[in-house]
Amino acid sequence: MVSLDDIPVGTTVRVQDVHGADPVSLRLLEMGLTPGIEIRLVGRAPFGDPLELEVRGYRLSIRRQEAARVSIGDR
Amino acid sequence: MTPRPLTVALLGNPNVGKSTLFTLLAGIPTRVGNYPGVTVEEKVGRFLHRGRQIDLVDLPGTYSLAPQSPDERVTVDVLQGRMAGVPRPDCLILVVDATNLERNLYLATQALEVGLPAVIALTLSDVADRRGIRIDADELTHRLGCPVVRVAAPTGEGIGAVRDRMLDAIGGPPPRPLALSATDAPTASGVTRPPAASDAIARYAAIGRLLEGISGTSRPALRLTEDRIDALLTHRLWGTLFFAAVMLTMFASIFWLAAPLMDLISAGMDGLSALLEGLLPSGPVRSLLIDGVLAGVAGSVVFVPQIALLFLFIAVLEGCGYLSRAAFLMDRLLVGAGLSGKSFIPLLSSFACAIPGIMAARTIENRRDRLLTILVAPLMSCSARLPVYLLLCGAFVPDRAAGLPWLPLKAAVLTGLYALGVVVAAVVAIVLSRTLFRGPPQSFVMELPGWRWPRPAVVLERAREAAWSFLVNAGTLIVAVSVVIWALMNYPRDDRSIDADVTALRTTLESQIAATGSDDPERGDLVAERASLDTPEGLESARRGAAQRQSFLGRGGRFIEPVVRPLGWDWRIGCAAIASFPAREVVLGTLGVIYNLGDVDPGEEEGATLLQRRLKAARWDGTNRRVFTLPVALSIMVFFALCAQCASTLVVIGRETGSWVWPIVTFVYMTVLAWLGAFAIYRLGLFLGW
Ligand SMILES: Nc1nc2c(ncn2[C@@H]2O[C@H](COP(=O)(O)OP(=O)(O)O)[C@@H](O)[C@H]2O)c(=O)[nH]1
Ligand SMILES: [Mg+2]
Repeated sequence: MVSLDDIPVGTTVRVQDVHGADPVSLRLLEMGLTPGIEIRLVGRAPFGDPLELEVRGYRLSIRRQEAARVSIGDR
Repeated sequence: MTPRPLTVALLGNPNVGKSTLFTLLAGIPTRVGNYPGVTVEEKVGRFLHRGRQIDLVDLPGTYSLAPQSPDERVTVDVLQGRMAGVPRPDCLILVVDATNLERNLYLATQALEVGLPAVIALTLSDVADRRGIRIDADELTHRLGCPVVRVAAPTGEGIGAVRDRMLDAIGGPPPRPLALSATDAPTASGVTRPPAASDAIARYAAIGRLLEGISGTSRPALRLTEDRIDALLTHRLWGTLFFAAVMLTMFASIFWLAAPLMDLISAGMDGLSALLEGLLPSGPVRSLLIDGVLAGVAGSVVFVPQIALLFLFIAVLEGCGYLSRAAFLMDRLLVGAGLSGKSFIPLLSSFACAIPGIMAARTIENRRDRLLTILVAPLMSCSARLPVYLLLCGAFVPDRAAGLPWLPLKAAVLTGLYALGVVVAAVVAIVLSRTLFRGPPQSFVMELPGWRWPRPAVVLERAREAAWSFLVNAGTLIVAVSVVIWALMNYPRDDRSIDADVTALRTTLESQIAATGSDDPERGDLVAERASLDTPEGLESARRGAAQRQSFLGRGGRFIEPVVRPLGWDWRIGCAAIASFPAREVVLGTLGVIYNLGDVDPGEEEGATLLQRRLKAARWDGTNRRVFTLPVALSIMVFFALCAQCASTLVVIGRETGSWVWPIVTFVYMTVLAWLGAFAIYRLGLFLGW
């Protein structure tokens, strides 16, 4: 499985699924990271973590630990 | 008969213009407080429209009505009418950011299902226009069955319409909930999703259909400029440099810009107490008013400049969207200690003063992170510790260490004390986050809002509100604590034993003078102290010292002597440590009184020198052994670096956490650590023969 955590800055990818059934995964879905949506990795913080994403036209920051729950496919 | 007031609640995601809309609709809030039992802020404003009185409630910003945090639970409770003291709203104003429609409609469409009349306010419409985002509000109104009003704060567009639609909606039919379809959330290859997750997926799909053909973007160029700013400000080098500059400016302003204002307040209070002194006859009433009440008032008002300045800064950073970026940049550094990026500003501010720092933790939405930040914030060496460090370093730390001639020792000790606070805070945070605060993994899902110009009205309101809530909530308690400490420091009082004490002092000094050789450099000091007992001021100072040693506090000092002995302290130092409970810097003044100097001002050159000389000359009772040596001075400094001797901080922790448990926890853990630290450095000092 390729996760959001593994892609280079600047790439646009499509979300396949958000794994896990706990509040963290629910929050990711609620923030709009739903299966099928296109997202872009805008950048990383100076120490490599967290990540900055573009989701549904806004900017979202999540930690790598959370990004690892998001499996992705090609656009 | 006047109709009953209507309750209207503002509901929306964080940072979408709720507070701005609140101010535009209702002006300054009539009531700011906490919801019962939780530390979530409640803000109520009042205005009249078409003859109806409307109570406007600003709900905390939330992303979803499936509650995960206390803030979200409060919102749900208010909407259900289950929150004590807040009537169930008659109408909701759903605040929806026009530049971020899909995500904002997620919460808005959840709220439509609550069954309350609602109006959607499309805020930031001016920004959306500039970005080329067009939204057909009429068609959206039609499809949702709920009025949608364009709002632009800079021009005031839509404010009147929001008021009108709001009254129209009350009494009208409730809005239709958005139809969700189960087929939108297929369960892929046998995974069963929790219902809330399926609901989220289906809702976004439904929102996508809802917006089909009525919203779109035509001009991506502006977005590109924003992207460039963003790229620069989160850049590894430039972003970090810019961040450092912003933080330095913020810190400098609360450290130095606040100083003249604080001096002004102190001077005003001194003037007032001088005035009272002239008006009232000397006696317990005057003493209570001046040293108890007025000192307490001064001791709380003096924090206002720092609080107001810090919140001014935070409001500007928050308003333009940089606050989240700052948290984004610093997150990695703090996450290792069990904290998060949002803890950075509260902790940094605590180097100036823990009180505004602890209050700044309000910007941390995550309850656990917020509490942890509040608990370790008082470990940062605040400006009140500096005079203690400077006086003791100045008097007892040599300029150079033997064997290390290149090392400026005083500066090294000072730096070490600051570093000690940071390191201990990190360790405490790590330990607490793995023990007391262990729990399910916390999500760090943070929106980085678009760049905007902060609105001065909102910024000023934020600073005013912070200062006011401090004065009203914490200030009164600080005055109460000050009065209690005053009583402990002045009673019991027995003039006969004070006289006996002064006589004993005279005898001790005379025998000490007789025992010291005429070439001893300290002989002069002893002779001067003995001679001062024959002057009215000197006698008064000695009597004050005696009175303080007799008071409950002084007895407390003797009582705890066995506890402070291992730190190398005599009972006088123990007494001063207890008496400094109102505020750390008081310890110098207390030492001055205990050593019969009366009111010295350790902040001034002369007072400091006098106190340093008196401390250097201090002996253990009935012996010729010095009390203050380098290990003892270090032990005192380490103790003050780590202890919680600041009543105001504890009061503010109580207020901000809404519970008396946390100030007690803070006091206990810090005092234990302070004792251990002081013991360790004292023993080390003795062992190494410093
Ligand atoms: N241009 C513009 N800025 C706005 C508008 N509404 C709010 N803002 C700005 O957006 C930021 C966040 O607003 P605020 O009211 O604090 O949002 P809250 O977190 O929802 O209470 C502030 O900088 C406001 O000045 C608007 O209609 N137009
Ligand atoms: Mg707000």
